[in-house]
Formats: sequence, structure tokens, C-alpha cells
Amino acid sequence: MIVLENIEKTYENAGQKTPVLKGISFQIKAGEYVAIMGPSGSGKTTLMNIIGCLDKPTVGNYYLEGLDTVKLEDEALSQVRNRKIGFVFQLFHLLQRTTTLKNVMLPLIYAEKYPSNAEEIARKALAAVGLADRIHYRPNQLSGGEQQRVAIARALVNDPAIILADEPTGNLDSRSGIEILAIFKSLNEQGRTIVLISHDRSVAEHAGRILLLKDGKITGEEMVAEPRDAEEELRVLGQKEEDA
Amino acid sequence: MRTLGIALEGARALSAYKLRTFFMMAGTVVGIAALIAIMAVGKGTEARVMKRVNNWGPQAIMLISGGGKDLPPPDITVTTLTLEDAEAVRNSIDNLELVSPMAWKFYLGLKREANQIRSVVWGVEPNWHQAYDWYVSEGEGISAEDVATLDRVCVIGKTVREELFGEEDPFGKRIYLNNVGLTVKGILEERGTSPGGGDFDNRIILPITTAMRRVLNVDYIGAVRIITKDPSLIPGQVRAIRELMHRRHHITPPEEDDFRIITPMIIADLARGISRTLWILLMVLAVLSLLVGGVVMMNILLMSVSARREEIGLKRALGAKRKDIFIQFLTESLAVTLLGMVLGSFLGWGVSAIIATTTKMPVILSWQPFTIAVIFALLIGTFFGVQPARRAARLHPVEALR
Repeated sequence: MIVLENIEKTYENAGQKTPVLKGISFQIKAGEYVAIMGPSGSGKTTLMNIIGCLDKPTVGNYYLEGLDTVKLEDEALSQVRNRKIGFVFQLFHLLQRTTTLKNVMLPLIYAEKYPSNAEEIARKALAAVGLADRIHYRPNQLSGGEQQRVAIARALVNDPAIILADEPTGNLDSRSGIEILAIFKSLNEQGRTIVLISHDRSVAEHAGRILLLKDGKITGEEMVAEPRDAEEELRVLGQKEEDA
Repeated sequence: MRTLGIALEGARALSAYKLRTFFMMAGTVVGIAALIAIMAVGKGTEARVMKRVNNWGPQAIMLISGGGKDLPPPDITVTTLTLEDAEAVRNSIDNLELVSPMAWKFYLGLKREANQIRSVVWGVEPNWHQAYDWYVSEGEGISAEDVATLDRVCVIGKTVREELFGEEDPFGKRIYLNNVGLTVKGILEERGTSPGGGDFDNRIILPITTAMRRVLNVDYIGAVRIITKDPSLIPGQVRAIRELMHRRHHITPPEEDDFRIITPMIIADLARGISRTLWILLMVLAVLSLLVGGVVMMNILLMSVSARREEIGLKRALGAKRKDIFIQFLTESLAVTLLGMVLGSFLGWGVSAIIATTTKMPVILSWQPFTIAVIFALLIGTFFGVQPARRAARLHPVEALR
């Protein structure tokens, strides 16, 4: 489903060339739950931008569901983002000025054809992340965890091929973080492909496979024999709280 | 449908940032309001000018005794304008329809038995009726024979008739003017009140010869009404008349003239009150304020593009094309100017209404200023909206999301 071949990305600033990605190749199959893990400065965000079709590699090929994305122009690439990719960001990136429902409907506005039942689709997506009763709230009336769940609903609303999450728990307390990871787990169980980017091993270990990124290269790959179970962790956390 | 959704998303952003929207809109509101009020006053003024010029006669030139530049009533102490001057104009100026000399006296006592009235007295030639397009409604007007024979006849206005005769039949009856008995032979068509408030119908006209020799005992006239064949010839004809009069009256400029020449253009300028130049200047100011408003709006939009990088980046990530972002921001600027246009139109309409009730300025509201307002709003919204919209559309999603 995702095929990266020898991806390089070099930024040029005032004649100074800074290579960030130095030849990256890997594949992710449909239905997989993969974490890309690396320290800050390893090129994680750049790699996510390329996988998310927000940016193009300087060298290399990237096929998304067989589509040669490197050859696509801005307009077609925008459609690929809209149809195939659901972004979840560290900073949520919700429009503060509008309701959760409108936030979730936003990707539908940019779809090739605006669905007549857009609101219903958005309501369902919000219900899927447990926020059916929050549709008329504004982001600043929600907790961080709830805001990230709105963002996930927004990512789901166009029924994308992959969910691309960049440090989705980075701005959350540990309990909310685990709740988000629990949602990812259940989405993955429903067959959704998830690519999770994190510097945190305890987060990455929720995935079935970890790609290790360092200095712009894939330095290793780990199959996680027994991925962490976010639901189990939540139960444990609940018990601890009761004990205390 | 897709574009509509994107445009609506732009409109939603406006309602979310109300203060910002207000500042963006302020220039347009004020500019459009000013434009509409100025155009309403302008149109009202032009209508007044047209009316005055039509009353005056668009083809009429008046040669009036006495210097200065003001309108009639003329200086009746100046005694240098003569029938011969009128004759000279008739003979030496080309393309004139007619030349009609007039002797006049303001507010002389008219008597009939116990009734009295003070009226304007005009001694006229038969062509006076054509010169003023003013005929009799009953009886007959002044004829060539009346003039030739110094006949003691007169034609009176409606007011004179009412005051002196009441319900009685005036025809063939005699009225007294300076102790000269005059037989009424006609009634002038009713004209009503002059723009200055005078009563047009309080007048009596009689043969010019009778007026000069029998009633007023003068050898000079008050004015000559000259009708040109072609209004476009007026400037040249006025020049020629002035030169002729200088020669005949031995006047060498800069010596002051002992006559005045009033044209429809002078009447128009007087009726305008504010000069055309000032009016154009006001229009330019209104348009400038629209442009300044547009520049302000563009700056606020440019700032808002920087402030809303996150929003732009997010929307790009969610699938918005460059074009979509462009449309959204252009919608914002167009919505601002169009909404500003609507508010400005109401404000301009209100200001016009206030001007109309509190000043003497004539105000006519019509649809044209509103059409122009729509056009201005679209032009300014587009012109000053394109740059910010383009900048927003060009933001790289990765940069914008950082």
C-alpha cells in the first residue's frame, strides 16, 4: 500500500544544502499498524510530510496504493490527501472559531463532490470516537484528549486509506494519551492502516512494527511480538486510581 | 456546489473575527456612503439646474442694462441701453431667432376704481410672446399695430386680474397706470411663483412705445431678450454682442461695462450653488476613500493570512487545493466589500435624507449610485483581495503547519 524507494529530501536555504532524509526505503501493507520512531532531528516530520503528500522528495519514488505520487501536481496531490490520508497532529490543529461538528466536516468541503449527508457522516465519525454529545462544543470547551478525538474523527470522515498520526499523544497527559492509542488500536482492528510517528518507545510499542529512524536513515526495524494493549493499560490505570 | 461550500467557509471566518471584519469594512462603508450622498446631491442639483435653465430658456441670452454680474432685477438707474442697441444686435449678430427689447419698471401702482395693486410693468414688442414662450390664455397679445400706434392697451397677469376685477369681465375695461388709461385686451397664461418667490402673474405688459413715451417717459430700455437659433453658438454670439456694445457705448476694457449679458450657462452656475469643480472634487474624495479603505482591507487581510497560517496549512493538509484557498480568501474580501456596500448604501441613503430635510440642497436618490456602489465594491474587493488570496494560496502546507 505504501512503498517508499530510496527517498531523499534536501532543504536548500541561502545556498546551504541540508540533507534531512538520506535514502529511505520501506513498505507498509494495508491493515498494518506501523510506528516510525526516532529522536528529534532524525527527520520524522519530514518523512511524515512526504508520506502525507504534503511535500515531495528531492529524489526517490513514493507509491501510495499504486499511485506514483511524485509525478502528481499540486491539485491532484491535494485530492490524494483528501481521499487517502487522515492526519492526526500533535497540536490537534482544530479551527477554534467553529464547532466540533464543523471541524469534522471540513475535509468534506474539499472533497471532489460534497456529500449531501455530510453532517450525518460527521456525526457518525464523532460518535465513533465517543463524542456524540459534544458536537456543538467549540474546541476551547474541550479537554486536550477530547480535542484529539475530534481530530481523529476529522481524519476518519473521508474514509481514508491510512491514518497518519504525528506524535498524537505528545500534547496529552498520559491517561488521555492512552485513550487515543486505544482508539487507534480499535481502528486498526477494524482494518484501518495506521502510521504512527513518535519519539517515545512506550507509544511506538502499541504498533505491530517499529521502523527506527536516525539521522535521515532507517537504522532498524522491529517486529513487536506483543504490542502494548492500550485498553489493558487503561484498566490498570483505573485500578491504580482506585487504590490511591 | 463544492465552490459554494468553500466560499461559505470564507464567510464563516468573517463572522468569527467580527472586529477585524469591522475594520476591513469601515473604509468601504464610509466611501460608499459618501459616494451615494454626493451623487444624490449632485443629481438633485443637476435637476434643479435643468429646471432653472428651462425656465430661463436654454436658447435665451439677456442683454441687461447696468454692470455687475448678478441676475436681474437690473440696475434701473442706468439709462444707456437703447432701442437702437437692440436694433444693432438684430442687424449685426448672425443666427439669432429673435431680438426682443423691453422697457420695464418694477412695482408701479395700478388702479381701477377703488382697487389697487403694485405690479411689474413691461413694455414689449410683439415678439415678446415668442421670446418668453408666454402667450395669452384669453383675448389677444401685444401686436405690431399696438406698438406702431402707441396704443393704450395692455395684457395683464392673473393676479392683476383678480386684484382689480375680481369676478368681473376685464375685457375692454380700462385700468390706470401713472394716470394713463389702458384697455385690457388679453390675459397672460398663468405661470405661478418664481424660484425667488416672486409672483410671475403679478405683471402687466403693454406696447413698448406706449410704455416708454406715455407711461414711463424714458428713452432707454431695461433689457433685450435674444433667442439664438443654436445654443452651441451662444459663447461666440455673447462675445460678438459684447464687442458691439463696447463699440456703441465707447467702453474700453478694463473700463467697467454698463451692461450685463446673462446666458443659460450663467443661470446654470448660479443654480448649481456648489461649482461643478467642487462637486467633482468631492466625488474624487469619495472614490479615494474607497481606495484607501481597499488598501486598509488588503493590509488587514495580509496580516490575517500570516495570523491564519495554521488554518491555511490545516486546510491544505485536509485536501484544499491552492485554488480553494485562493477562493476562500477572495470570498472574504468580496464579502467584506459587498457587505460594506450594503451598509454604506443604507448610510448614504440616510445621510441623503438628512441633507434633504436639514438643508436647502436638492437631493434625488436614484438607482444609479447603487449600481455604481456594487461595481465599486466588486472592483475593490477583487483588486485588493487578489494579493492576500494569492499569498495565502502560495503558502506551502508544510511551512504553514509548522
